[in-house]
Amino acid sequence: MMPRPGLEGKLRFGFVVLGVLMVVEVTEYLVGTTIKGGAWPYLAILAVIGAWPILQYFMHITHLWHPEK
Amino acid sequence: MAAVTVTHKEDRLALHRLGLWLFILSESFLFAALLTTRFYLQGVQRPPEVNQPLGLAISLILVLSSLTAYRGEMAAIYGDYRRFRRNILFTLGLGSLFLIGVGFEWSEAFRSFPPSTGFGTIFFTLTGFHAFHVLTGLLALLVVLLPGQKGRLASGNSWGVEAVVKYWHFVDVAWVFIFPTLYLVS
Repeated sequence: MMPRPGLEGKLRFGFVVLGVLMVVEVTEYLVGTTIKGGAWPYLAILAVIGAWPILQYFMHITHLWHPEK
Repeated sequence: MAAVTVTHKEDRLALHRLGLWLFILSESFLFAALLTTRFYLQGVQRPPEVNQPLGLAISLILVLSSLTAYRGEMAAIYGDYRRFRRNILFTLGLGSLFLIGVGFEWSEAFRSFPPSTGFGTIFFTLTGFHAFHVLTGLLALLVVLLPGQKGRLASGNSWGVEAVVKYWHFVDVAWVFIFPTLYLVS
């Protein structure tokens, strides 16, 4: 079975999401290891920022209310 | 009483997805409860022996496995079986590497903050609960690699792959919150 066109673009887009996630994870680490005391609000915000691309682009949560054709 | 039969393929898929998301929602409540327990028991205190670089390393491994899982799912949807198989195998490898990392962390943690301590209780419970989810995710990924999958994908039925990969991503999302909660907050 031959792959349908459009796959390559979706696969490349995955790397963009991965890049964002890696930056968020490393930033979290740097914030957590450099800010002593009171880092938790920043970490909470970064965790939400890290979770969102996974939910949106990898898990396609919006397909729940906007089913794709 | 009239029986309701869902006949359209799109409607069935929508129902499957809704069911899976409800399952994921119920799982996320469990993780949320454990995450809040950490703050209830320990506040923002954390023993200095927690291996933060290892925590970052296994986080990056899990994030990378989400990419390979996504690529596998896309390949399945687009009918590229070889690429699907290769990416799911990569995901299996990365997930196993993550579990090895957690095992190594546990061996250190048993010496530094055993389960009998306050932080140890929540650390082992949370990482153990999550590692169990990773393990079940790995088993589910193995199932989608079974020989019959090729025929299903060829006929345009990739729901099984989508469901397993969504579950795998959920395990990653859970870790995105667990990592700062256990390794970084202080």
